[in-house]
Amino acid sequence: MERHGTSSVDCNDFSRSTGQTSGSDKTEAQQTALIVDDEPVSRAGMAARLKRLGYRVLQAGDGKAGLELLRRERPDLTILDWMMPELDGPSVCELVRRDPEVFSSQIILMTGHDQPEQIAEGLARGADDFLSKAASPQEITARVQAGMRAAGLIRRLKHATDEIRLKQEAIERELQSAARYVVSLLPPPGQLLPGLEMASAYRPSSALGGDLFNVLRWHEHSLGMYLLDASGHGVSPALRSASFSTFLREDNLLHRVGSSDPGAILTEANRQFPLTENGSYFTIVFVRLDIRTHTLFYATAGHNGLMLHRRSGEICYLAQPSLPLGFDGGNVYHTVETQLSPGDRLYLMSDGLYEVPSPTGELWGQARLETSMREAAAKPLADALAHAIGAAEQWLGHQKFPDDVAVMGIELAG
Amino acid sequence: MRDTQIFNLTEALARADQDVELFQTMAELFLEHGPKDMAEIKTALDASDAAAAGRSAHRLKGAVLQFCAPAVLVAAMRMEEAGKAGDVAAAADLCGKLEAELSCLLDALRQVMEKGLAA
Repeated sequence: MERHGTSSVDCNDFSRSTGQTSGSDKTEAQQTALIVDDEPVSRAGMAARLKRLGYRVLQAGDGKAGLELLRRERPDLTILDWMMPELDGPSVCELVRRDPEVFSSQIILMTGHDQPEQIAEGLARGADDFLSKAASPQEITARVQAGMRAAGLIRRLKHATDEIRLKQEAIERELQSAARYVVSLLPPPGQLLPGLEMASAYRPSSALGGDLFNVLRWHEHSLGMYLLDASGHGVSPALRSASFSTFLREDNLLHRVGSSDPGAILTEANRQFPLTENGSYFTIVFVRLDIRTHTLFYATAGHNGLMLHRRSGEICYLAQPSLPLGFDGGNVYHTVETQLSPGDRLYLMSDGLYEVPSPTGELWGQARLETSMREAAAKPLADALAHAIGAAEQWLGHQKFPDDVAVMGIELAG
Repeated sequence: MRDTQIFNLTEALARADQDVELFQTMAELFLEHGPKDMAEIKTALDASDAAAAGRSAHRLKGAVLQFCAPAVLVAAMRMEEAGKAGDVAAAADLCGKLEAELSCLLDALRQVMEKGLAA
């Protein structure tokens, strides 16, 4: 047995079974109580009572040893004497509450005094409950069991929180994996055909984006390109976009549509992808470029992001007013034709770029996008795109776009 | 079993959940540590350290509570209060009374232990 100034740790005292009803929940692991008291007679009595209640019991003879044991063993409940040499009970309470590893421990402060002001001080300094040394065995048992119930609840809550965090991490890993797959669907930048450069930017608002773009190679002199935008953000739009991109594969279009005409393709897509039950839909711009004649054929469905930046400096938006896909199954989308010239740049983009809001809510807008593109007209295509994205970020005030941003640009060699 | 005048054995056993073996263990501990607490009180008073005497009296009081011995308990409480108040003179006056009452309790516990609780 130890006196004040020393410490004792003993979890085997009074370990005989008495056959009395346990205060702990037997369906769970045995709960642990720590008794910190420099007075050995009371400590022995309390230890025996808690053993009898079915708890694993640890003991310490002073505050410092008690704190060490509490941090190492993480007991469910600590019964802490108020007055001890060097480190008293309330000081131990304060240190425990400042320690993120053990701050949620249940602590009962115990003393020979039980004046209201002392109880208030003990609770204010971090105790969960208060117990007089003169308390009856029934009261001690009731308070210990209440403390153990609270400790069990806290432990279950922590366990549930840990499980949720692990599941969240697993979901994040799955999302990252899916995001890598979506990115793998995008065409690499560079020379699509001799005399035709392509650059792109893809910035999903969350791990997975609903925007997707690609290049179709029909002939050595004919290219298809599309940029689609599924309504919403996250997993569901990304899956719908991936499904739509399968429909838009060259071989499938030739089989289903029998044509590389943008209007015919969108008309068939409109039939294949009706509005979903929860109102999800696509907007899309689809173009075909004849590289020999520099003729551009295009059709849009509810999508305004088709911008032609001519070498002369003129900028025009080519999209005509039209319904998004799925709103009217009988709708016919028409192909529009225009002529490109060497040095012209064509951008297919989602509205997430020019509808980016400032901190006050004002949208960046197509006019500012045009300004940005003109500023970078002399730069290579990829740098011009990066300049526009940077300007949008500056307008936004940070780099986390609230909507998916996708841009694909092509430039005819001048 | 019978109650002595110095302490209430029936109540003390009730506090020990009628566990005779536990009571004997606690009595043995008290027989060892009670005199040490008393010696610390006297040493502190010799050094005019009322606060230290009060702390030792507080610890002694906690142990005495387990045996339901009112006379020693009251004497220990008064010593603790005098110590907290820093009143060395009052504490010194109480010292003899506390030592005498403690001695009676220790004797009574020794007698109970020698006779055996099961008798």
